[in-house]
Amino acid sequence: MAESANAPVKQEPVDAVNLESRILELCMEFPKGLTDAIIQNSMPQFDAQQRVTAINRLLSTGQVDLLKSSTGLVYKLKDSAAVSKVKGSDHQERLVYQIIEAAENKGIWIRDIRFKSNLLLTQVNKILKNLESKKLIKAVKSVAASKKKVYMLYNLEPDRTVTGGAWYSDQDFESEFVEVLNQQCFKFLEQKAALARDSKADPMAQKNAAYTSSSDVWKYISELGISKVQLSIADIETILDTLIYDGKVERTVVAAAAGGDADAGQLKLYRAISPLIQPTGLMKTPCGVCPVIKDCYEGGAVSPSTCIYMKEWLDY
Amino acid sequence: MSSSATRLCFLILKERYGEVVASVACCLAKKNYCPLRMLSQDSGLKLDQVKKALCTLIQHNLVTFQQNKKGFIEYVIHAEKVLQQTRFPRYIYCAKTLYGDPAELIIEELLQHGQMTLEKVVQRTIDRLTEAMEGKQNVSSTLVKEKFVNLVQTHFVQRCTSPDGNVENKEVASMPVLSVSPEELYVVPKMELDGFESRKRKRSGEGSEAASKRIKTDESESSESSIFWRVNVSRFHQYLRDQAIVQAVASKIDKNAAEVVRAMLRLSEVKTDEGALVASAMTVTEVFQNLPREFGISKQTIEQYMKLLSEDSSEFVSKVSDSGGGMYVINFKKLITVLCRAHIESAVQERFGSKCFRIFRLLLMKKNLEQKQIEEYAMIPSKEAKELLYRMFEEKFVSLTEVPKTPDHAPSRTFYLFSVNINQVSRMLLERCYQACGNLIIRREHETKENRRLLDKQQRVDAITASMEQSGADPSQKEEIEQMITPPEKAQLTKIKHMTNKIEHSELQLDDTIFILQTYLQYAHMK
Repeated sequence: MAESANAPVKQEPVDAVNLESRILELCMEFPKGLTDAIIQNSMPQFDAQQRVTAINRLLSTGQVDLLKSSTGLVYKLKDSAAVSKVKGSDHQERLVYQIIEAAENKGIWIRDIRFKSNLLLTQVNKILKNLESKKLIKAVKSVAASKKKVYMLYNLEPDRTVTGGAWYSDQDFESEFVEVLNQQCFKFLEQKAALARDSKADPMAQKNAAYTSSSDVWKYISELGISKVQLSIADIETILDTLIYDGKVERTVVAAAAGGDADAGQLKLYRAISPLIQPTGLMKTPCGVCPVIKDCYEGGAVSPSTCIYMKEWLDY
Repeated sequence: MSSSATRLCFLILKERYGEVVASVACCLAKKNYCPLRMLSQDSGLKLDQVKKALCTLIQHNLVTFQQNKKGFIEYVIHAEKVLQQTRFPRYIYCAKTLYGDPAELIIEELLQHGQMTLEKVVQRTIDRLTEAMEGKQNVSSTLVKEKFVNLVQTHFVQRCTSPDGNVENKEVASMPVLSVSPEELYVVPKMELDGFESRKRKRSGEGSEAASKRIKTDESESSESSIFWRVNVSRFHQYLRDQAIVQAVASKIDKNAAEVVRAMLRLSEVKTDEGALVASAMTVTEVFQNLPREFGISKQTIEQYMKLLSEDSSEFVSKVSDSGGGMYVINFKKLITVLCRAHIESAVQERFGSKCFRIFRLLLMKKNLEQKQIEEYAMIPSKEAKELLYRMFEEKFVSLTEVPKTPDHAPSRTFYLFSVNINQVSRMLLERCYQACGNLIIRREHETKENRRLLDKQQRVDAITASMEQSGADPSQKEEIEQMITPPEKAQLTKIKHMTNKIEHSELQLDDTIFILQTYLQYAHMK
């Protein structure tokens, strides 16, 4: 530094290179942005003209960015990785790339890119196509709306909200997979309950023995190997919840022992239960399940004495 | 009253008491309060016919009368009592399981005749019992009377209202005032029992008309024998309700738990007022003492069962305090609500399938949900979930609330929340039950009408063979008569029998649902 300060004017090209590298160093020191005043203070030996040429060179080679902030113009170091990737592309392409990068693994919709970049639709389309062919970004279909495509960087794993988690493959909800898991979970819990019933222990112990934690169910399902994708405990809990809605399973929450595998000190326990009643009487008559009962009256097109459902039921 | 309920009333009354009574009752049902003349005008029947019909209805406790402000006598029909007529077989069965065959016949007689004196009930019961045993065994009247007193003491049978003897100015009062004091409602006067005995002895001894007439005019005796008795349906309903609860416990937990609950209910019968929504509190010790010894359940186990019952999601019993080793109550209102919910859920399950069942229960648990949340929680693909949900919405099992974000109710800025209103759904299902029950009755009548000729023929053949048997005719002759019914006819007859049985069986099953729904709605009103 001292040497360069003392150096005579004829060594100017060396100084210019020196100045550029100094500015880059300073940019690293101030990741929030480097103002012109800081450069001037740290390198008083260069005049304004020299600084301007150096900065212009840095900007044109894409090593720094010029940004406007509340305190005036600031310089920021450009992400070198991004620079290397979008090398050879123009300004607009770089801009779009940055927007997509900011969206992370949630992805961004094409309309939002247009709004943020202020570019025309045709331009954006062209750029996106370009970037896609370079394998810098990829388009992912969202499960929320099947027609909606979102863009994200090529190497990113899409977020759960985009893919829908383990229950979706290619935007389709795997209802069969869910059904199978639902049945298997219930089978497991039911076996456990049957074992508890046969144990001949006192009633309280029987009930407690029938309870199974969600992690045990998870282990059982993992060992069965039904699922190609790796399921989490939370996934299994959503399946178990559907069993609760089916009225086949009951849940209780207990405080987990210290160091247990459950989060937040809670342990979710599930157990298979028997139904409260037999199918209700109304549904044992043909009228209970009749689809046209609204139009049924004596003398009508549909009437009890001519009812074919009733006839089938009586002949059975 | 809804149209389907009126229709069912008409069908029930027509089947039991004929067309005239049914049409008078229906006219009355439409009017609420109605004087005699108007009734005759509306129904287009002669005054005499209407009078007779009203007599029948009053006899069966279906109609009461009162004097309005202007001095008219008005008649009121109790439609709910008409609808209860389909439940008669269940009352009779209750009496049989509780007190045996004589009680069964007592209740049957009382139900068939509406109101009866003790003397007549006992006499008819004895006659029928002897007939059933074909005279092999003599039935003692003391046994039957004992059963009757049992039924009265347990409130299954109660006294009818009777004209007040103290009303002096009978000329002024155009209507007899019917009343019975609450203390006397379930009391069998000693005189009634003894008097009956002595009268009978005298009558059988002297065997003359004059003697019995003399006794009847005797001051004290005549006043006693004018006491009429009838079946107390609300007591039977209480029993049926308790049965339903015990069954639910047996199904959800196990037989022993059901026995514990049964013991608790038996205790509460004694301790709790009729119509109370919550049984009075009882301790574990009390329950233990009330449990029959043969179950061999220790007190500790009972304590465990109590804990189990109170911790269950249906909350069969609830603990109210720790005194006396834990006081427990049975909350009838809560339990009936749970049962009613279960019946509605079962209806959804059977009618729409298990996926709809899942959505329905989800809505019951989470109250208000948006379409998208339903799909997520129930894990049903969006398209299918929509279809299922809208089908239930169409059939009014699910209701919808609009919550607009802006005052213009624009669909894009509105939340659509789906929910289930249990009260409304149970009303709707009850209507459906009435309609189904009516349909079954019509179908049964239709089947019998279709095969009227064949059934008549069988009846004739049966009558002939019976008379031949009595006269001791030749077996070959009897066979000849029996062969008048050809084999295809026989097959048809068994088929008809099978069909009527099936229909009657489902009528009873249907009543199961009706009972729970009615009880739930009744309790929901009581708050």
